[in-house]
Amino acid sequence: MLRTIIRLRLKRFRRDRRGVSNIIVVALSLVIITLIVSNVVLWGYQMNQLDWERMREDVKITSVTRTTFASWFAVQNEYQINKGSRAGGTFMDTQADDSLYETFLEAQPAPAYAFEINGTFVTDVSTYPFAYISTIEIRLRYRVSSSEDTWFLLAYNWASGTYSNSGFNNTDGDPSPTMWDYYSINMTSQWRSYVRDDGTIYVKLCDEQALKGSTEPVPRARTSIDIDFLSVRVIGDWTTFTLRNDGPSTVHVVSLWVIDSENHSHYSADAVINSGETLPYLRVDVHLPCEPYAVKAVTEKGNVAVYSGA
Amino acid sequence: MKRLLRSRKAITPVLSNVLMMLIAVAGMSIAITATYVITANFHDIMGERFIVEDVWFRTSGISIYLRNTGKVPIRFSAVYINYTSQSFTPLELDVAGHGWLNVTHAWTANSVYYINIVTSRGAHVANYYKAPP
Repeated sequence: MLRTIIRLRLKRFRRDRRGVSNIIVVALSLVIITLIVSNVVLWGYQMNQLDWERMREDVKITSVTRTTFASWFAVQNEYQINKGSRAGGTFMDTQADDSLYETFLEAQPAPAYAFEINGTFVTDVSTYPFAYISTIEIRLRYRVSSSEDTWFLLAYNWASGTYSNSGFNNTDGDPSPTMWDYYSINMTSQWRSYVRDDGTIYVKLCDEQALKGSTEPVPRARTSIDIDFLSVRVIGDWTTFTLRNDGPSTVHVVSLWVIDSENHSHYSADAVINSGETLPYLRVDVHLPCEPYAVKAVTEKGNVAVYSGA
Repeated sequence: MKRLLRSRKAITPVLSNVLMMLIAVAGMSIAITATYVITANFHDIMGERFIVEDVWFRTSGISIYLRNTGKVPIRFSAVYINYTSQSFTPLELDVAGHGWLNVTHAWTANSVYYINIVTSRGAHVANYYKAPP
């Protein structure tokens, strides 16, 4: 009996095609509507998140300063001693201006006491490209045991293939200091001849006997020389932007503006500042104007920090 | 066999079924395409964001530096200065793109201008800008 009823019902259902097609149409429509709505809702959620993150960004420019000197580039390895000998310390003692020093002695035998060492220094050409360097300075902090010598700093001229101080602001040398003293020279506008394309500079420190040979009076005593610091640095006209992120998320600064009454200069930037971090951001290609100016820093999400300077 | 070949009754249901299937497939294709177009449009409209980085009043006109901070490329379709449409150099920005939009407009010193920049999808950014002395 039951079997017969089910058979009859199924037969009717199979014959009635309208019901089936209605169900299919409704189901497909529901699928399409669900697709559209879910897509829109998801995309809306993403864009809301973007707006929310943008609102939470809090970046400030706390200062904008003109920067002239780069940090020091110290010697890379032990000095090559051409004349003389090492008496104590290592080249690492000459990398910082502190109480540690390396000691050398002039060459023997008497009477030709002479001293000459070479050191290799490498400037950071990626941070300080040649186009933005005005000159290069060499600084020496040292003392010697005898005051009868004169000391010279030279650099390897890559154009002529010799050590030279031609074009330096001081070619007369430094009289021997028996107390700790600084001796600085800069290469003026001739600096490019003394720097290899990869930023390498060979610096030579020598006394007068080594530099000029037998034409000079012979020193009476063998001198010892203590070198506390010997480094090079590049000099230019750059700008340091100090950026502070007071927001809860990391900020990516993508654009900088320096605006004065004449120009609106745009610079692409790539500075990432973590939450709560202050970042000194050096730009060697940015030159601050002499007149009052405004600086803008634009983040990737679209916020703008503004600073006024003079 | 002869009877089966002569009988035309079975052909009509087959044809009707095939036709129905074709119509259903075509209908679904249209529906899916429409879905794609509708959602893509929604995506694009909702994903548009841009900012004005700088406005420079120059002797040749007004230059506006724009940055696309949204998730879709942007084409700028209109610039209004004080509610008046202005001619400008066409500008399209890819995602994260940026560039100058040069508007031809004679400005006067110390005047305030309401600049409204509109994209092809209808997003707009508007603000007041004061011309320099």
